[in-house]
Amino acid sequence: MIEHAGKRLLEAHGVKVPPGILVSKPAHVQRWRGAYPVALKVQVSSGGRGKAGGVVRAADAAEAEAAAQALLGTEFGGERAATLLMEPWVDHSRELYLAVTVDGQSGGYAVLYAPAGGVDVEHQAPHKYAFGPLEGFRAHELRAMLLPVETDAALRERVVALARRLVFIAGATDALTVEINPLAVLPDGKLLALDAKVVRDESAAYRQADVAAEIDRARKREPRMVAKALAGNLMMVGLDGEVGLMSGGAGMTMAAMDMIADAGLTPACFLDCSSNPTPAGYRLAFDVLDAEPKVKAILVSIFGGGTQIDRVAKVMNEIMIKRKSRKPVVFRMNGTGRDQADVVMQQAGLRNHPTLESAVDAVVAALRAQ
Amino acid sequence: MSVLIDASSRVLIYGIAGNFGRFSARDLTAHGTKVVAGVAPGRDSPDVEGVPVFDDARAACSATGADAALVYVPAPAALDAVLEVLDAGCKVIVYPGDGLPVQDAVALRDAARRKRAVLIGPNTPGVISPGKAKLGFMPSFCYTPGPLGVISRSGSLSYEAAWRLTTARLGQTTVIGIGGDPVKGLDAAEAIELLHADAETEAVLYLGEIGGSDEYAVARYAQRADAKPTAALIVGAAAPPGKKMGHAAALVGSHADTQAAKVQALREAGVHVADNLRTVVDAALHALRVRESVTT
Repeated sequence: MIEHAGKRLLEAHGVKVPPGILVSKPAHVQRWRGAYPVALKVQVSSGGRGKAGGVVRAADAAEAEAAAQALLGTEFGGERAATLLMEPWVDHSRELYLAVTVDGQSGGYAVLYAPAGGVDVEHQAPHKYAFGPLEGFRAHELRAMLLPVETDAALRERVVALARRLVFIAGATDALTVEINPLAVLPDGKLLALDAKVVRDESAAYRQADVAAEIDRARKREPRMVAKALAGNLMMVGLDGEVGLMSGGAGMTMAAMDMIADAGLTPACFLDCSSNPTPAGYRLAFDVLDAEPKVKAILVSIFGGGTQIDRVAKVMNEIMIKRKSRKPVVFRMNGTGRDQADVVMQQAGLRNHPTLESAVDAVVAALRAQ
Repeated sequence: MSVLIDASSRVLIYGIAGNFGRFSARDLTAHGTKVVAGVAPGRDSPDVEGVPVFDDARAACSATGADAALVYVPAPAALDAVLEVLDAGCKVIVYPGDGLPVQDAVALRDAARRKRAVLIGPNTPGVISPGKAKLGFMPSFCYTPGPLGVISRSGSLSYEAAWRLTTARLGQTTVIGIGGDPVKGLDAAEAIELLHADAETEAVLYLGEIGGSDEYAVARYAQRADAKPTAALIVGAAAPPGKKMGHAAALVGSHADTQAAKVQALREAGVHVADNLRTVVDAALHALRVRESVTT
């Protein structure tokens, strides 16, 4: 989620954030009804925008409009800034770092805290309180960890209370990370979230409507080849090379990509059909690879466990009969039902390579022949 | 000996009336595994593939003595189904499904620990002790009994590697698919302890990928003075940064997530790391020869 969306989510759960408006045209700064000075912040997903000049202070409307003019359309971390967040410039005495995040190492959630937040927080390892499942959070355990770190008791209690709130948000919204950096300490001692980074769990889309909607929007931003594959429930990442790799299972897809790269070629994609191992899924996979002009040859590399390879072989045969594209296709299929699969392939006059090595060699030869 | 499951394991298949459930009932039985019960809530069938079917896991376990479970339900139903088989007393549970919300995975990991049970998954083909027992849907012909313990984050890569090992007559004690998700039941650190404690396992082969921290747990293990010789293959060298490669955890976000950083850490820890799939059998053989030279 970009900052603005993250802040709205925090705000909806009672976390204090600055009031802000979105600006997508320089003239929109005139809509600002708050006081000056203001902060104009580019809304991009990549980090480090503060250091890259993506956050600008403006003393009045004229400065704000000029800053908006300069920032809108500029690239930050390879992403064009299409909108800005306009907020009051907040005076504060200290910046903290606070996050609740999934911690893969302990297999649960953790609170991360650093007494000096801001743009340089990466230089110091934050203090970590790992508490397992959400209901494992104990305020007193966090307090005990903070005791030697924060001597100001009132501040400590505010941090503990906010952390508890973030734990609740992580559960309610299926967030993998809820990070506030910087978390400002205001002159009266209260805390204000000056930035927000919320990472939602895509696997929770079935119970989080806004996550499902965001996955849809992200899909539409992909190149056409990838968007079409994703819409058909295939897993695809575009990689810009010449070998259309159609595979099953993430690990074998990556192993095949590595082997293609070792042979001096570049995969055109990570395309894992195991999420939709049906005739329609494989047809779609061929459709997108055949339609993409960059793809010069196709390697079908599937080692099936749950996917029964004899059924896949029948589908491949049917697809090959109807297919119009003349791009060369190399097969290497093994796994559950492989004996029957070999019979099907032989009867169809298709060669099934015994190893991935010989299949990749055949792709190299096919590309040289072109 | 083997780890997690053996010839005495009594298996329950949750969701036995579905395609995967029926297939596994036949397939596990063909491998010699005792499939003693099926659970299919709301289905009125007395048996499937000759296996008695129950409405509820507790009834299934008390009637049949099932102690291991293979759970085939979609992700939205996984939390409740796995909690049910845990409550029923199963001690080894495989949940193969993918797309499980991380929040649910964390809850299940914790629930399994409280019950002193082992959850394998999500997003895994399961576990196989070749010739003894199978709790999953990996292709049996890829495996043969032998001295090597295998741990893998990827199902497909574990079939491929096991098939290469088996073709080279290098057998396996137990092959554990820990799965490709960021939070899982049994993780690499715990799986390697099981293989470490297993007398028949002479060396370990770890199959990893980009993203996550499991590879560093393997490196920490390999640095121990009493560690068994360890080999590894880490895939994803050609993966671009910032893109999720199929598995929820297979994403390069920082340098530590890259294949190169992981290979370096493992090599520094003394692990025999294969350059690629072509040399994975050689790496495993190296590890086993180290074992032989120590013991003879």
